[in-house]
Amino acid sequence: MRRRQYWGWIFVLPAVLFFALFSYFPIINSFVASFHAKDILSLKAPKFIGLQNYIHIFTSQDFLNSIKATAYFAIGCFIPLVSISLVIATLVVGLRRFPKIQNLFKMIYYSPSIVSGVVSATIWLLIFDPRGLANQFLNFLANNPTPVDFKWLALPFMARLATIIIYFWKYVGYFVIIYFAGLVSIPTSLYEVAEIDGASAWRKFWSITIPLLKPTIEFVLIVAFIACVRTFSIQYVFVYAGSPREPINVISLNIYTTAMTYHSLGRSTAMSVSLFCFILIFTIVQLRIYRSERVSYV
Amino acid sequence: MKFLSTVLVITMLLAGAALVLATPQQEAAGPVELMYWTHEDPNRTALEEKLIAEFQGQNPNVTVVRETAPSTPIIEKILTAFAARNAPDIFNIGAENEWQYIVGERVAPVDLEVVGYSSYKTMQDDYLPVTFNGALYEGKIYGLPMEITNWCIYVNNKYYREVGLDPATDYPKTWEQMLDVAEKLTIREGEVITRRGFDFRYPYYLNFFVPMANQLGGTVLTADGKSAAVDSAAWIKVLQYMADFGPNGRNLGSPTYTNARRTFNRDDNSVAMCISGLYQYDRIKAENEPFLPYVSVVPYPRFQNAVNDNGTAVYGHYYMVNASSSPAVRKAAWKLTWYFSNHEEEFLDQIGLTIPSKKLLDTAIYKNKKFADVFIDDMATADFIMVHESGPKFEDVIEEMVQDVMLSNVAPAEAARKGKVKINDILSQ
Repeated sequence: MRRRQYWGWIFVLPAVLFFALFSYFPIINSFVASFHAKDILSLKAPKFIGLQNYIHIFTSQDFLNSIKATAYFAIGCFIPLVSISLVIATLVVGLRRFPKIQNLFKMIYYSPSIVSGVVSATIWLLIFDPRGLANQFLNFLANNPTPVDFKWLALPFMARLATIIIYFWKYVGYFVIIYFAGLVSIPTSLYEVAEIDGASAWRKFWSITIPLLKPTIEFVLIVAFIACVRTFSIQYVFVYAGSPREPINVISLNIYTTAMTYHSLGRSTAMSVSLFCFILIFTIVQLRIYRSERVSYV
Repeated sequence: MKFLSTVLVITMLLAGAALVLATPQQEAAGPVELMYWTHEDPNRTALEEKLIAEFQGQNPNVTVVRETAPSTPIIEKILTAFAARNAPDIFNIGAENEWQYIVGERVAPVDLEVVGYSSYKTMQDDYLPVTFNGALYEGKIYGLPMEITNWCIYVNNKYYREVGLDPATDYPKTWEQMLDVAEKLTIREGEVITRRGFDFRYPYYLNFFVPMANQLGGTVLTADGKSAAVDSAAWIKVLQYMADFGPNGRNLGSPTYTNARRTFNRDDNSVAMCISGLYQYDRIKAENEPFLPYVSVVPYPRFQNAVNDNGTAVYGHYYMVNASSSPAVRKAAWKLTWYFSNHEEEFLDQIGLTIPSKKLLDTAIYKNKKFADVFIDDMATADFIMVHESGPKFEDVIEEMVQDVMLSNVAPAEAARKGKVKINDILSQ
């Protein structure tokens, strides 16, 4: 037994070392750097300044605006992502009698999630261009006699909406697949029994599907929230394409700008640590809530 | 067997760690490899690769690896490389971005022995006075010029004639006239612009926008350099101008449209005027030669009540050498960049880049270069671009100010106030 453990350690050691070098070390380094003043370009040693970076960011209008921008984005994206992907997954599961069509829909919904965020945003920039498909489509729907420019990239509200649309388009398929896996694991016998008892489709959904899908829903809620709060590449592409920064200056983008434009490694790492702590606390709270609500009909 | 396997695994891990942690060092003598990073420019690539081949033939122990990246991302790429202490031996970015490398002692001063001058002063004397403004620091020169440039307005004469304007006389001399001329040239379908009459060279605000404020007497900093001055009446007026120009005003253009300079060359009815440098002519020649006869260049407009006669800022790209490279590499790097910089006639003739040595100014190539006279005349009254170790940060703030008034309907006075707070915060760091 001890020999097996010994060899087990040998074989996991490379992965542990890799993770330690490229994940744990940067995390600890960031935490330490957040208490120092350091210019990214300077060769001088970092100067310890205690909590000054944290005080600065939490009293600066810029970071508070980033929190607001992140909140708008996260709420605007999170709710449709977790709810609509469940609806789509339920519909796709309903195509079980047509496996080829079912697989086709799974592929269609999932394929945007394998495209990188930068590529997705670049493609959508063309769609949201004043002469692009988005304006043409809305003008067609509204039957406008003269085309209206909805200023997808220019107006603050539209820029926020555009980034939410792109993110939703990109990740809805990912969560559809996760829900799909959860849905097909629910025994069909439970639905048959409910049908015999005269339950309606809606009743079956609420009393069987949702309770038994709770572990999957829990996973989706946590992953979706973390993903929405950590969004970066879409906002980056938009800002560098000329969109106003303030409405979409999410925390991750602010971290990047603080380091790369303002050269302040200390403040950018303080923002990173703050974001990490927020996500950690939120995840712990969510896990505690869901742990008490497990259901089993077996 | 198991013991041997254990030893093998541990050895592989240690070897891997050594590879990761090892920092390769060039030999003090022997073959030298120069890593050169520069921004994309197909015309310059062809010329520099030819010069590199010649240089390598003359210096067989030197190998040059040339890599390019688009002009905006390369700024971050170089910054990241220097932060990681894995930067190229030679690089170039605009003077306003290079300055922080000089002040931060990340680049080396020019090797006088290589360039053959007894002092930096005698070197300066062989060039136009403005040439080394972006590379001279505490008496030393930290870069060799690749180009010293200003911008003027490129005009598509066909579109002028289409709307009944004469491109020789009806081009806008003032910013106030620009609004009306651009309006005549603009084509819209409803609110959607399909052809812009004119648009600015976003996001290079230090180049084109700060000079507009300078024309009205505005400056970025106070005279003592200790405080922001972007809330003056001059700045508020210029910001109001941008608000009037933008999508919420007369809807003539926006930072969210494709950069005007990029589409101008195509002559595809997307833009009638753009801001660019002398090099743009050679780019049009390379991309769309039939379009050339329909192109003219006019001076940068001034405000009607301008107190200063500024065109766009003069700026430069300098070949710079990494101060952390070994002495042998630095020497070879200066030799190569001096070789580039000494081919000023080819730079001007083939790619429209001006290295303003006095030697060049006497040549027929310079005197006969199409539109060079427009650029030279405008350069005569232009200021050099703001070089300050926080220059790029100021530009970022100014970009936000302009976006606020153009896109977010923020009042110019409020945008100026916010800008002042941010710049003062940068200065206090």
